[in-house]
Amino acid sequence: MVEIEIDENACVGCGSCVDDCPNDVYEMDEAKNKTKVVNADDCMACLSCHEICPAEAMEHKNIHVAKRLYIDRKVNDIIKKII
Amino acid sequence: MAYEIKREGKEIFGDFKPELIPDECGGNIDDYEESLHVLMKFVGSMSSALEQVSGRGANAIVYQAGKRMGHEAGKMVEKTDDLEKAMQELSEILGAEFYFDMWKPAGQDGYTVEKGDETVVKLIFRDCVVRQTLRRTGLPQKGPLCYLLYGYTVGAVEEVMDIRGKLDIDHVGPNACLKTLTIKWSGK
Repeated sequence: MVEIEIDENACVGCGSCVDDCPNDVYEMDEAKNKTKVVNADDCMACLSCHEICPAEAMEHKNIHVAKRLYIDRKVNDIIKKII
Repeated sequence: MAYEIKREGKEIFGDFKPELIPDECGGNIDDYEESLHVLMKFVGSMSSALEQVSGRGANAIVYQAGKRMGHEAGKMVEKTDDLEKAMQELSEILGAEFYFDMWKPAGQDGYTVEKGDETVVKLIFRDCVVRQTLRRTGLPQKGPLCYLLYGYTVGAVEEVMDIRGKLDIDHVGPNACLKTLTIKWSGK
């Protein structure tokens, strides 16, 4: 089962993930002005929310991570040495 | 003296004779990766050029190409009327590069929904080389290239089940895409 964690310190409350999620996994917590997870069971791990989140405030656990063959391993190795 | 092009990699020298199964194909994993990325860039560039020239007609062209591939691939497996068996065979046709599962919302009982003479099933594509290609070339999803998989899936299902089908793209994401497969039983 998918587990979703929201870093409340990072979340800016823009609501982009709420608008973007096709399965209504998120809702805005109006009191805190932060996103909250309300329907994790329906999350299909498309990770659109990760792409749209400006604060990179979420983490999905226990999901199928798609292959990323588009990443150039040589470039990756160079970046790893720098960071 | 004639000028020679300088290259980093070593040139392979050896004997060659025509044979059915070559012992040595030449190249290591880095060569395969490089070829894959070049191919991704070519295909991405072709798709974007096709869209520029043909507009929305590009979708139909790519769909037709995919459908033809799907029909060809569908001939390799056993025909069936059973949707679940067809999905199993479809997963073998599409292979690991188009890894998909049937998907349903948590509140729904089964994967299939009957609507008159149609059966609807949601498919979630977790691994997809089309998506990889689009990301490699910086192209948006849901474009003409996505219609390749659309046609491929429909072609394979039509061939395996001997019926008419269609696939709609519900949602696209960087890690998975949700599609709805509709099977029309009356289209037999």
